[in-house]
Amino acid sequence: MSPLLEQFLSESREFSQSIGEKLMQLEDAPNDQGVLDELFRLVHTLKGNSGLFTFPEMTRVLHAGEDLLGIVRNGQIAYSRELADRLLDAMDFVMVMCGDIESTESIDASRAQDSLRMAEALRALMPAPATAVLAGADGVAPAAVPTISIAAPLPDSAPPLLDEVPEVIRIDAFLQCQGGDPLHWIVYSPVPECFFQGDDPLYSARRTPGLLWGCARPREPLPPLAELDTYRCVLDFHLLTAAPREELAEHFRYVSDQVKMVRVDPLWLAIEPLDNAMGPDGDASRAIGENVLPGVAPLPAAETLPQFLAEEAAALDAILSAQQQILTLGDHPSWEEGRLKAVAAVLANLSKAAGDASAASGIEAALSESLASGQSASLRALLYAHLDARKESLASRIPAQPNSPATPTASQIGARVETGPAAAPEASPAKPVADDGIKFGRRAEDAYNGPRTLKVDQAKIDRLMNLIGELVVSKNALPYLAQRAEVQFGVRELSREIKGEYSVINRIADEMQDAIMQVRMMAVSFVFQRFPRLVRDISRKLGKDVQLVLEGEQTEADKNIIESLADPLIHIVRNSLDHGLETPEVREACGKPATGTLTIRAAQQADRVVIEIVDDGKGIDPAAIKRKAYEKGLIDEATLERIGDQEAINLIFAAGLSTAEVVSDLSGRGVGMDVVRSAVEKINGTVVVSSELGKGTSIRISLPLSMAVTQVMIIESDDQLFGVPMDHVVETVRIPRSAIRWIKQSRTAVLRGRIVPLKALNTLLGISINPKANADDELAVLLVQAGGEVLGLLVDGFRETIDVIQKPLAGFLSGLSAYSGSALMGDGSVLMILNIREIV
Amino acid sequence: MPIEFKRNRAVFQDVVRVEEAEGLLEWLQKKPSAKVDLAALSHLHTANLQVLMAAKAGISNWPEDSELRAWLETALKPAS
Repeated sequence: MSPLLEQFLSESREFSQSIGEKLMQLEDAPNDQGVLDELFRLVHTLKGNSGLFTFPEMTRVLHAGEDLLGIVRNGQIAYSRELADRLLDAMDFVMVMCGDIESTESIDASRAQDSLRMAEALRALMPAPATAVLAGADGVAPAAVPTISIAAPLPDSAPPLLDEVPEVIRIDAFLQCQGGDPLHWIVYSPVPECFFQGDDPLYSARRTPGLLWGCARPREPLPPLAELDTYRCVLDFHLLTAAPREELAEHFRYVSDQVKMVRVDPLWLAIEPLDNAMGPDGDASRAIGENVLPGVAPLPAAETLPQFLAEEAAALDAILSAQQQILTLGDHPSWEEGRLKAVAAVLANLSKAAGDASAASGIEAALSESLASGQSASLRALLYAHLDARKESLASRIPAQPNSPATPTASQIGARVETGPAAAPEASPAKPVADDGIKFGRRAEDAYNGPRTLKVDQAKIDRLMNLIGELVVSKNALPYLAQRAEVQFGVRELSREIKGEYSVINRIADEMQDAIMQVRMMAVSFVFQRFPRLVRDISRKLGKDVQLVLEGEQTEADKNIIESLADPLIHIVRNSLDHGLETPEVREACGKPATGTLTIRAAQQADRVVIEIVDDGKGIDPAAIKRKAYEKGLIDEATLERIGDQEAINLIFAAGLSTAEVVSDLSGRGVGMDVVRSAVEKINGTVVVSSELGKGTSIRISLPLSMAVTQVMIIESDDQLFGVPMDHVVETVRIPRSAIRWIKQSRTAVLRGRIVPLKALNTLLGISINPKANADDELAVLLVQAGGEVLGLLVDGFRETIDVIQKPLAGFLSGLSAYSGSALMGDGSVLMILNIREIV
Repeated sequence: MPIEFKRNRAVFQDVVRVEEAEGLLEWLQKKPSAKVDLAALSHLHTANLQVLMAAKAGISNWPEDSELRAWLETALKPAS
């Protein structure tokens, strides 16, 4: 992959992200011109970038989005939620295509269809004054305008120019049609500026696969020579081809918005259009119609279909479009195979229901092809064919009356073909030319004012981090060296100099370490930025009105911490939305404002980051939790009676508990909060929940700022040194042996009015030596906190606390759960860091 | 030269590109009665086709390439 493409992908991701953000901002302040301008600029730049590569599918969607935003920006239409939905969908689609590009460096040709639909949906939101007027004048409803697409043919009658196809070709085509080959009629209306884009429409038309016949017609009467603009394309191309639809879509993929494709009904080829019936050679062609047709009479597929009732037809359409959505999904889960099979089965059943049993083999073939390639493309193509067939069969329900004067004359249809659809593309492509000039200027400015940031691979930073760690360790060896110089070799002068040098290196190393930490720091906004969309989507789905308040987005913490925070936070936010906040009606009945508030707040407190998620919903009912927990067997009857409200609320962290009445796709499976807790604890964090019934719930997560440097206390036991993370250390005390009481098998002591259980570290580590006492017969006790309980560890002695860079145990050692990692000490020895939670 | 302008006849050869359209238009404006010889033509850009259509230029020789000839005939033959 070229570096340019790589950069394009990473930029596109950023752009899509900020476009999403801006859309959210607009939701709160729909009239903010500044945000609108910025949004427009983002979409515009992204479109421009996509144009550098040959991704017409992406450019088309973005172009439509840009046009739409341009109109919104000019105040012609107001910003609406629907508009935001469509634009967000479009951005999702762009991301799907980015994924395609990343994996295959190209966009699957079948995405062209989706791209067209997407662009159409965007354009449908635009007011189309010119189009409406023209269409209205021709008596065509404006609703017919968005049929500028390959996928939506003009089904109701034969294309007007079909009668110009010479007889020989027409008969030939008719026979091919009988042979089962689908014929397509294509109207290719190049945009007037196409010459400037390097297009040669005639060349494209001549290259059309399976071309049977074609002609070029001026779109409007050609002006006198003196007024003719040679660089404006005024021709339309009408083509009759026998190529399959996919091949045609591929051929015209760059101009698919300028191409209309219609499946040719064999009847059109056989039956003489009205105009020509009066013509000189009318008799001959009518004879064909009469002679050839009766022999193969019961052919038109549309008529053999059983007539569907209105509901049935609607249901069929709904099912088909659902299948289409399924196939459009951009992810590739492990169950994709099953998904494809399911779609194929649905299609097969549908065609059976429609009385078209022959389709089954085609579906099977498409399925096996799709399965083999791992792409849904061929199934999708089949599905589109189905959708089109539906439309055609709907249209054919109103039987065409070829010889009746009511049939629109060629000129009428021609007028519609020319004015209606052509107006829309004409309105849009005029813009890029004008905008291109601005774009270059703007991008040049961007480069001047842009933030001076570097993008660095995380692996490089990690390496730097490791190197600094080694530097710190080897630096710590210098004092030992100074000591040896003095004690062993008796050179005090040298010893002093070494110490002097050491302090200089020490200072620099500290600063370097600090600087690297800063590089690894990330703002929590990285995680927060996805919440506006998440909250919006979920709350709309649940029919709840929720206002999201984000605070302290600039709070920073180590990248690893921030990243591991994402999933737990999403869990909690979903829980709050699903279980916590009530629907507007319920809220009003309780006397609360209809709009619920969800606050996510981050702040730095000493060397920890604290994140609070607060909602003003219905809170957690301790009684309900207790009952549920008891029903699920998580607590026994005695506990049920004993535990207080706060402890009951803490039960939400127990695995397998869910208070939701029904399992929804959001939450309720009872795997939420225990996952949250374990994820938070994995990065040495804590999570606390507090709740007041009827008032709301608050969940507080506290995390270390950085995982890279751990402060540990060194303790000695059985002549070995161990490290204990300072997070766990409560205090160090010495207790006279006489103050230790035995309660059954356990040693305890009373400390500050509390009974504290004591355990010997030696015993916990499987060393069968009793802890040593000091000269006064006192035992060293390290009070540690583990899982909310305080415990006294009997050790031999305490040493200093040091900052270490803790390395996880790798390879064979990774099974040693008693240690959370190792660290190098200044004298080169290895210090094992105890995993307090595991050993007690 | 893809188009050779003789006294009253323009001879098209090989591929006639978009750049030729302007010149062709000027020439045809000056010589409304001129004929066009397309025999050696293999492709002409749409812009040139438009000019020929607008000028209703008389064709002295149709292209030898039958496929191109079919295209040009439908476009350039006076509507019957």
